[in-house]
Amino acid sequence: MAVTKLFGASVKRREDPRLITGRGNFTDHIKLPGTLFMALKRSPHAHARIVRIDTSKARAMPGVVAVYTGQDLVDKLAPVPCAWLVPDSDLKVPTYRALAVDKVRYVGDAVAAVVAENRYIAEDAAEAIEVEYEVLPAVVDQEKATQEGAPQLYDDVPNNIAFHWKLHAGDFDSAWNQAEVKLTRRFINHRLIPSAMEPRGALAYFNPGTGDLTIWCTSQNPHVHRLLLSAVTGIPETRIRVIATDVGGGFGSKIPMYAGEMLASAISRDLGRPIKWFESRRENYVATIHGRDHIQYVDVAATRDGKITGIRVKSYANLGAYLSTASPGVPTWLFGLMLCGAYTIPVVHVDVYGVVTNTTPTDAYRGAGRPEATYLLERVMDLLARELRMDPAEIRRKNFIPKEQFPYTTATGLQYDSGDYEATLDRALELVNYQQLRREQEELRAQGRYLGIGFSTYVEVCGLAPSAAAGAMGFQGGLWESATVRVHPSGKVSVFTGSNPHGQGEETTFAQLVADELGVPIDDVEIVHGDTEMIPFGMGTYGSRSLAVGGTAVIMATRKIKDKATKIAAHLLEVAPEDVAFENGRFFVKGAPDRAKTFQEVAGAAYLAWSMPEGVTPGLEETHFHDPINNTFPFGCHICVVEVDPDTGRVSFRKYVAVDDVGNVVNPMIVDGQVHGGIAQGLAQAVYEFAAYDESGQLLTATMMDYAIPKATMLPRFDVDRTVTPTPVNPMGAKGAGETGTIASTPAVANAIIDALSPLGIDHIDIPLTPERIWRAVQERRG
Amino acid sequence: MKISGSYTMSAPRQVVWDRLIDPQAIAGCLPGVEKLNQVGQDEYEMSMTVGIGPVRGTYDGKVRLINMRPPEEYQMQVEGSGRPGFVRGTGTIRLAEGPDSTTQITYEGDVEVGGPVAGVAQRMLGGVAKRMVEQFFSCIEKQIAGG
Repeated sequence: MAVTKLFGASVKRREDPRLITGRGNFTDHIKLPGTLFMALKRSPHAHARIVRIDTSKARAMPGVVAVYTGQDLVDKLAPVPCAWLVPDSDLKVPTYRALAVDKVRYVGDAVAAVVAENRYIAEDAAEAIEVEYEVLPAVVDQEKATQEGAPQLYDDVPNNIAFHWKLHAGDFDSAWNQAEVKLTRRFINHRLIPSAMEPRGALAYFNPGTGDLTIWCTSQNPHVHRLLLSAVTGIPETRIRVIATDVGGGFGSKIPMYAGEMLASAISRDLGRPIKWFESRRENYVATIHGRDHIQYVDVAATRDGKITGIRVKSYANLGAYLSTASPGVPTWLFGLMLCGAYTIPVVHVDVYGVVTNTTPTDAYRGAGRPEATYLLERVMDLLARELRMDPAEIRRKNFIPKEQFPYTTATGLQYDSGDYEATLDRALELVNYQQLRREQEELRAQGRYLGIGFSTYVEVCGLAPSAAAGAMGFQGGLWESATVRVHPSGKVSVFTGSNPHGQGEETTFAQLVADELGVPIDDVEIVHGDTEMIPFGMGTYGSRSLAVGGTAVIMATRKIKDKATKIAAHLLEVAPEDVAFENGRFFVKGAPDRAKTFQEVAGAAYLAWSMPEGVTPGLEETHFHDPINNTFPFGCHICVVEVDPDTGRVSFRKYVAVDDVGNVVNPMIVDGQVHGGIAQGLAQAVYEFAAYDESGQLLTATMMDYAIPKATMLPRFDVDRTVTPTPVNPMGAKGAGETGTIASTPAVANAIIDALSPLGIDHIDIPLTPERIWRAVQERRG
Repeated sequence: MKISGSYTMSAPRQVVWDRLIDPQAIAGCLPGVEKLNQVGQDEYEMSMTVGIGPVRGTYDGKVRLINMRPPEEYQMQVEGSGRPGFVRGTGTIRLAEGPDSTTQITYEGDVEVGGPVAGVAQRMLGGVAKRMVEQFFSCIEKQIAGG
């Protein structure tokens, strides 16, 4: 029996000492002699024709080495690629140039690049470039963009509709006609700005002697970036090395291929010198992707006793000015497939219009599609409960997929791996002391105080994904993961993973897995990531997939190591391999535990290779490519308790309880951290964060002064607990925990605030529920 | 963004009118004006340094006075750009005779800002614009009083 020592232990993150003492190895720390700095001239207009670009003043400035406009690079750099080509949706992918040619389509669209001896000169020279624009009418709202007479971004995208995707499962008309209760609503799931702590940047060096391009950049998926950079520059993959060792957060915003990284590469090749480029925070806000931004129309059919019999959704997704790398997949597959939630909804009709507008492009942002589906469903549950005068907990219970029915196939065709939804609900009700709370709510209402209790009983899809499913959805890549485990002659172990962390703690959790499997001290295991030259291949870290997919690849490679090491040990012990047992890092003869070889002795023997068993090659290194058989489906129940002051609109958080089920947990402290951060982000969407544009397409929230990322004092204490329902999909039984908090918390908070305001006759306010919005809604009701 | 307001000046309407369209008076009274050159009939090139919240910068641009109906009303078109972004706007200024040889000035305008300044400082723009207008009128009033 293998002794599990580290699986389940809160091992402190091994990466933290270097990160918190300023010894991280981030892209901007890398310095190469002879580096030139690139600055981008960005459009101040949301929609304009470029009449003339005069770069003469910039070129004349001392220290300026070169200036490029879009026209200069048309033959040297292919357009920015879109890699999620959603099928059967009449998808149009308009040309997206790294530097705009002819027209700019959002504030922040780059029109010229300056390279200079230092960043100061480059920024000053970019400002000295004179661009004459013919300003065109702009459109910001995706619904208005589809209407007659709206400004058109492209000649070949009629009505600004880049795609119309639909998934019709079951007969909605009949469900609607037979419905005892009907609900019709319009929800806005507003735009957010990912705001990773480290902005994006790159240092690209094309060595003219060797023809090799090395690029350090802020990437969640270095191999994918290598592939895409090869495609846009024409440099073969074998000549490109992408390095992203330490990455300071991403939340999805460091998945796509962007103009900046492409330009640094192409210009380095042109000049034969290293080019460094880094965003300012303001550039990060206008030129790195945004998230969410859906307008949803929903019709719900239900029985009088609270069972949902069908749901129909029409959604307008704001794609921004161009189609970012994965953008078509986010509001379609990752949203539409999840519209059953945790419930036995038999009929789902969803139509999604992907609309281009004069705004920053949108793409995957923490949760990507699932938060939009979950918010919609959880608001619907509360509205229906209210309509039917049912308890919001009970209406959810009534619609839950019962635990006996797993694996459960949803109307939308997903197979949920495992679940016990009532268990998380019951535990959360217990932790929050629900009956007592409702009594308190009654008492306070009598005193004119407004307490609210909000639920979110979510399920999400993660561990993305079987490659065949990815292909069917039009994703232009596989979603497997690779791992190489190299045991050195001393018995120390290097693990090379394609899951490139950017804050997830894989240097710790993956080492826990390997230390357990091989019975070696965790300090003997190093995790190597973020370098395409060292790792066979990798799809990257996103969609809560690193542990479920990348971790499984590591375990499978480790088991191959054990198999080979067992053969060598048997040979050394002069017994048959089946007579050898392995425990706590020792190979021993079954029944004679004193006849043993340590793992380290076997590793040494494998490299000396003086005496190897027949047919066994020297060395001890194995690689495994793991393609999962299914996604995983974490779930849980979050309950938020607030008090709202109707005179000021101010929300005070009383309590926040999160009971999640992410399957087995490798490192509870890291999962708690993920849950805390996730709740902070999702709660912020409910009450603080909002990317606001004015009508002419100017981003009004382009700094942290105006875009309200929560500080610790703006958040409640989180009471986090878990139930454990392992997944059968991988050997760890682990599901994934990166996005649960974000997905669950937005509706829990919104539902709590609306519940608080319900005595005033308020049943919905669009998020973010800022004091102003709440105050206005209250004033309206009070007349 | 819309801005509007009013100002009462202790001077007769014709005197106020003459000052308001006098380039020297404008250059002397509009806060931050560094140069103002006439380039055509009622058309000027201007360079102006303005701070809006944390964003301070110099804008180069044009000012045109149009639809002049002395001494009652005129419109002002402004367009400028600089490091912090661009500003474009049109405003209408009306002069009415008040009691005791005073002049009641009302103004309304629509201002569009873009570029960095829009994202950083737009919510402060209304206040800054209003304060600048007040400073301008009060300076003109002092000039008139001082002869």
